[in-house]
Amino acid sequence: MTFNAFLRAGVACATIALAGAAAAEPLKIALVETLSGPQASTGLLYRTAVQYQIGKINAAGGFNGEKIALVEYDNQGGPVGAADRVKAAIADGAQIILQGSSSAVAGQITEDVRKFNLRNKGKEVLYLNLGAEALELTGAKCHFYHFRFSPNAAIRFKTVALGMKGKGILGTRAYAIDQNYSWGVDVENTVVANAKEIGYEVVDKTLHEVNKIQDFSPYVAKIQAANVDTVFTGNWSNDLLLLMKAASGAGLKARFATAFLDQPGNIGNAGAIAEGHVVSTPFNPEANGDATRVFAEDYKAVTGHYPAYVEPAAVFGLMLFGEALKDVKLDGGKIDTTKIALSIEKATVKTPMGDYSMRSDDHQAQFPMVVQTVSKEAKVKADGTEFGFLPIKSFTGAESIDPVQSTCSMQRPG
Amino acid sequence: MDQILFALLNGAIYGLLLFMVSAGLTLIFGMMGVLNFAHASFYMLGAYLAYTLQPLTGFWLAIILAPLIVAGLGILVERVILRRVHAYGHAHELLVTFGLSVVIAEIIKIFYGNFPVEYRVPAELQFSAFEIGGGSYPFYRLFMGGVALMMFALLYLMLTRTRIGIVVRSAIYRPRMVEALGHNVPMVFMGVFGVGAFLAGLAGAVAGAFYTTNPNMALELGVMVFVVVVVGGLGSLGGAMIASLLIGVVTSLAVGVKVSIASLLDFIGLGDLARDVGGIFVLELSSVAATLPFFLMLLVLLARPSGLLGEKE
Repeated sequence: MTFNAFLRAGVACATIALAGAAAAEPLKIALVETLSGPQASTGLLYRTAVQYQIGKINAAGGFNGEKIALVEYDNQGGPVGAADRVKAAIADGAQIILQGSSSAVAGQITEDVRKFNLRNKGKEVLYLNLGAEALELTGAKCHFYHFRFSPNAAIRFKTVALGMKGKGILGTRAYAIDQNYSWGVDVENTVVANAKEIGYEVVDKTLHEVNKIQDFSPYVAKIQAANVDTVFTGNWSNDLLLLMKAASGAGLKARFATAFLDQPGNIGNAGAIAEGHVVSTPFNPEANGDATRVFAEDYKAVTGHYPAYVEPAAVFGLMLFGEALKDVKLDGGKIDTTKIALSIEKATVKTPMGDYSMRSDDHQAQFPMVVQTVSKEAKVKADGTEFGFLPIKSFTGAESIDPVQSTCSMQRPG
Repeated sequence: MDQILFALLNGAIYGLLLFMVSAGLTLIFGMMGVLNFAHASFYMLGAYLAYTLQPLTGFWLAIILAPLIVAGLGILVERVILRRVHAYGHAHELLVTFGLSVVIAEIIKIFYGNFPVEYRVPAELQFSAFEIGGGSYPFYRLFMGGVALMMFALLYLMLTRTRIGIVVRSAIYRPRMVEALGHNVPMVFMGVFGVGAFLAGLAGAVAGAFYTTNPNMALELGVMVFVVVVVGGLGSLGGAMIASLLIGVVTSLAVGVKVSIASLLDFIGLGDLARDVGGIFVLELSSVAATLPFFLMLLVLLARPSGLLGEKE
C-alpha cells in the first residue's frame, strides 16, 4: 500500500464518517431580529424568550436525536436588512426562521419565505411569527409555512373591549387613535367594526405618523373635544407614553384601552398617569394561580427578570412548537419541515395560561387572553413602581380568536 | 375658538422647546461652520444627567447642574476632538460629530438600559395653570416655555449688548482680524460650543421630565432640530426662533384640520372621483401633521435656499 493509496483510503473513511454524522442532522433555527439600533429593545426581549424556551427543548433532549442549533441574525430594524439576513440564514442551512417585532419586517419575511418555498420544493423553510400582529399576515398574505404565535389586532381589541364592558368601565363613547401603518390601520378598522356588536360608538378617529411626534397635546385636545369615555389605541413605545402623558397633563378623564401598555419602562415612566388604563395580553402572573406564578418565577430564575411584554407569547408559542416536534418521528433521518408544519397544526399544549393550539385554516394560534388594568393592588409590580397589572377578565382561546379572514386562501402541500 | 387658542399655545410652547435645542446648533454653525450632529445628544445627556442627579440634589438643582455638566462635556469635545479635526475640513468634523452621537447613544444604553427611565415632573409642579376649552392646561408646559423665552432674552442681550457679544459676533465674520486685534479666537469658539451644549442640556433636563427620557430621544428630536436650523437660516438666532415657532404652530394646527385633496376637489366637483382613486387623495392633513415641517423645509429651500433669516452665501 503506497502512501498515496493510504491517504485516499483515509479521505474516503473521513467522508463516510462525515456523511454518517450528517444523517442525524440537527434542526437549525435562525432568529432574525432587531438586535441593534433604536428599535432593539423589543428584539432583545424576543431573543431572551427564544433562548429560554429553546433551552428547555434542548434540555429535554432536543429534536431528532440532536440539540437544536439556534443562530441569531440582526435585521437592523428594517425590511431591507431582514430580507438580506433571511437569505443569509437560509444559505447557512436554517430550516426555521423566527421573528417577532415589527409587522413591516414580518410582511417582508413571510413573502420571502413563501417565494423561497415555491422555488425550492422539498427544502421548505418555516417562518414562525412570534409577535407581528398585522392582520394581513394571516389574511391576504397567509401561506402554509407561516405560523402566528401572537395575538393580532382583532384579538387584542375584541378582548379589551369585552373585558372593559364586563367590568362596566367601557362607557358608550369611544375614540380611536392609531399609528398610520398596517398595524395601526388594522386596530382602527377593528375598533370601528366591533362598535355595534359590543355596544359603543366611535365618535372620532385619528391616524398619525409613527414615532415622529414629540408633542401629543394637539391630539389630546381633539380627543377632549370629542368627550369620550374610552380611547382605543394600538400605539406602542414612545407614541403610547407621550400620548398618555399629554392626556394626563390636559386632565383628560377618558380611560385608555391599549395593546402594548405592558412594555417595560412604560409604567416606570408614566407612574400614576397609567393607573386605571387597560391592556389585553396573553399573560399575567396572577391570571392562573400557581401555574402562572411558577412559570414567572422559573423565567426569572433563568433570565433575571419576570416575563413581560412580548416574552410570554413567544415562550408559549415555542411550547406548542416543542410539543409538535415530539410527534415528528424522523428516526435520525433528514429533517422534513413540511412534516413539522403539519404537526404544529395538530398539536395542542397546556401552557401556564391554559390550552394553546394552532388553527389550521389560517395558522393563527388560539390561546387565552387576559384583560388587565394598571393598579396598586397587583401582586407583581412593574418597573419597580407601586403599580402592576391586575387581571380583570380572562378569555379562553375560543372566546378570543377572530374569525378566519376571507382574504386568506392557503395552498396546502401535496 | 378655544380649540384654536389651545392649538396655538401648544404649538408655541413646543416651538420654544425646539428653539432651545436649535439655538446652540445654529450658533455653533454660524460661528465655526461645524454642523454638529452630536448636538441632540447633548439634549439627551442633559435629560439623563438631571434624572441621575434628581434624587441627590432635588429637581431644581438637578436642572441647573445637569446643563452645566453638559456644557463641560461640550467644551471637552471641542477642545479634545473637534479642534484636532478642524484642520482636515468640514467633512471630517461632520463625521466625527456623527460618530460621537452614536457613541453617546450606546453609552447611555449601557448605563441606563434600552427602555425609558423614570424621570418625571415633580409632584409639586404637576398642577394645571388654567382651564381652556374644557381641558386644563399643565403649568409645566408654561414653565418650559418660560425657560426658553428667558434663555432667548439672555442670549440676545449678551450677543447685542455686551463686549463679549461684540467679540463673538465679529469672530463669526472675520476671525483672523479679531485674532490680530489680540482676542483668543479658539477660546471664544470653545466658549460658544459650551454655551450651545448648555442650552441643549437645559432643554433636555427640563423637557425630559415632561416627555420621555429614553435612548432614542436624541434621534427623535435631532431631525426636527436640523429642520429648524435649515428653515431659519444656518447661523441665525432670530431665524431659529421664527422657524421653531412656525414649525410648532403649523404641526399643532394641522392636527385639527380634516382636509384631504379629495375634499378640496369637491369645490370643482371632482371630490367623489378622487375618493374612488383613494391613496394620497383621501389622506387627511391631520395624519401627516408631523411631516409638514419637512414640506416647509422643502418650500424654504426652493424659494430661499439660505433660510428665512440666513445670510446670502
